[in-house]
Amino acid sequence: MARGRERRGIFTIEGPLPFLMREPKLQVESVSNRVWTVSDGTYRTLFVEGHGSVVAFDTFGTPGGARAYRKAIARTVPGKPIQTIVYSHDHVDHAGFAADLAPHAEILADEMAARVIALRQADGQLKPTRPLRGKRNPVEIDGVTFELLNPGPTHGTGNLASYFPDRKLLFMSDTILANARYGLLPDYHVANFVRVMHGLLELEFDTFIPGRYEVLNRTQFERGCDYIEALQEATQQAFVQGIPVWILDAITAYVKDRLGPRFGNLDGFDQHVGLSAFRIVHHYLMGGWGLEDTASPGLNLA
Amino acid sequence: MGNEEQQGSPMTQSKCDHRGIFTIPGALPIQSAWRDITYEPVRGNVWTASEGIYRTIFLEGKRGTIAFDTFSTPGGARAYQGAIQRVFPQKRIHTIIYSHDHLDHTGYAADLQPDAKIISHELCAKVVAARKSDGQLVPHETCSGERQEFRIDRVRFELIYPGPTHGDGNVAAYFPEHRLLFMVDTVIPGVGYTFFPDWHIRPYVQTMRRFLSLKWDVFVPGHFWLVNRKGFQDNLNYYEVIGETAQRAIRDGIDGEDLDQVTRYARRNLGRQFGHLFRFDEYTGMNLMRYICHFRTGGWGIEGNLKARTDPL
Repeated sequence: MARGRERRGIFTIEGPLPFLMREPKLQVESVSNRVWTVSDGTYRTLFVEGHGSVVAFDTFGTPGGARAYRKAIARTVPGKPIQTIVYSHDHVDHAGFAADLAPHAEILADEMAARVIALRQADGQLKPTRPLRGKRNPVEIDGVTFELLNPGPTHGTGNLASYFPDRKLLFMSDTILANARYGLLPDYHVANFVRVMHGLLELEFDTFIPGRYEVLNRTQFERGCDYIEALQEATQQAFVQGIPVWILDAITAYVKDRLGPRFGNLDGFDQHVGLSAFRIVHHYLMGGWGLEDTASPGLNLA
Repeated sequence: MGNEEQQGSPMTQSKCDHRGIFTIPGALPIQSAWRDITYEPVRGNVWTASEGIYRTIFLEGKRGTIAFDTFSTPGGARAYQGAIQRVFPQKRIHTIIYSHDHLDHTGYAADLQPDAKIISHELCAKVVAARKSDGQLVPHETCSGERQEFRIDRVRFELIYPGPTHGDGNVAAYFPEHRLLFMVDTVIPGVGYTFFPDWHIRPYVQTMRRFLSLKWDVFVPGHFWLVNRKGFQDNLNYYEVIGETAQRAIRDGIDGEDLDQVTRYARRNLGRQFGHLFRFDEYTGMNLMRYICHFRTGGWGIEGNLKARTDPL
């Protein structure tokens, strides 16, 4: 697109925002025949080569990131345009800039993600053209076959897993990570998260591509589930044992001590475990956030 | 569980308490612990009660009392009942009104007064029914829309749902005769609570400002102390400034996942204007971190992406 007016997501302050324009260096790696994963060092996604076009998952989180993604795809698969984009979920930092990646592409997303995106009206985040309903949608596009699964509330709205059974490959954004860098677990739906993610282990996959950081194998995926589950247990114990859980230093010290021997070697553990615990203990005190985060999940106001 | 016979009298500790959504096995003695409650009249038949951090109101009717919320634990709920009984020994609680769905405010009607009639907004009731939390009783009656007047036991008030603010179906109670407004987990004295848990950031400030179209001069929040109209407006102003500061922090290259870095930025950029506020040093970094995340990810869910209505209530 023209550089004259950069798309701004949901930013409202006046003046230029140069970080939106910056094009990050992206690293592309092959993970399977005609499937590549691409990362800027933090965010990660994948794209797939079809007979005459490319299916791109997500867009990266800035206009510059989306343009760098487009160029990386063009370098890897020259001569094949991006004709399809799949939004993993609604968040702008993953799926916010289709207008800069491939403005005429068909866009697939879960119907609830599409609903949120339509309400948000973020500058650059195009509305899905093909909203999907239900838990399991087989997709065949330009010779590329995969399944889009909505396993239940995990993170964001309408978060889909993309499953490539013939490649034993699963991609899902902002759920399980290879490390402990979960921070405040933004927009995670704690009530059902581990149950839903465990459910994905019924699928045959040996490679899991997350929306951030390193690619995982199945054992690492299981360990990631165990880590969140252990945090849930430890934060309840912290409250029961009278730890002042609304004081970050207090709960951080408690969970470091309790979980350090088992998970202390996860990258980012020391920096993030306290914040993650802080978030999760509030789940138990408050009861979950919204209808998505209940025993019988749904969506209020949908 | 839920065997009310095991609950004991309001003044004694229960042998088997309701557990909310806790899943770990074993006793949860901290849930049972007695909380000393203070109480004082505010205006007319409206009283306020607090254990120092949480705050709510209760009303004297002709034949009984109306309690808003339940406090945050079974022990807190029993202590709340004890407090109301001390003020009005001949009047039992016949009605409980839920401000919103969260357990730390409305989780334990089963311990406060299990046979009371419970009223909430329909959006709140849907979440409570789906949550199935042990001790949080499902409302018997719901209100919908923006404003609904209630006349219960010769007490008159309105429940007002202004749009998404915090939690689900969060209603304010408005007492026009007393120029008094009560609303939970929205305006709270000082900076915001930690990372603004379950706040709907996009519509929040504009939605709350709609209350300024009503005539009131005392605001009773769900935490800490009462504020006047100016305190209410100042508090909303803080949110607005932190939203702008979050955008500038991203522009300036602050790593939104590094709490130390975010906190330093918050103190440097907000300290002069807001450094005097209650809990500024403690929570302003987390406040800013949450807003940075909002601008990175977009709002969260349907409620976090709705545009606020701005017309007067």
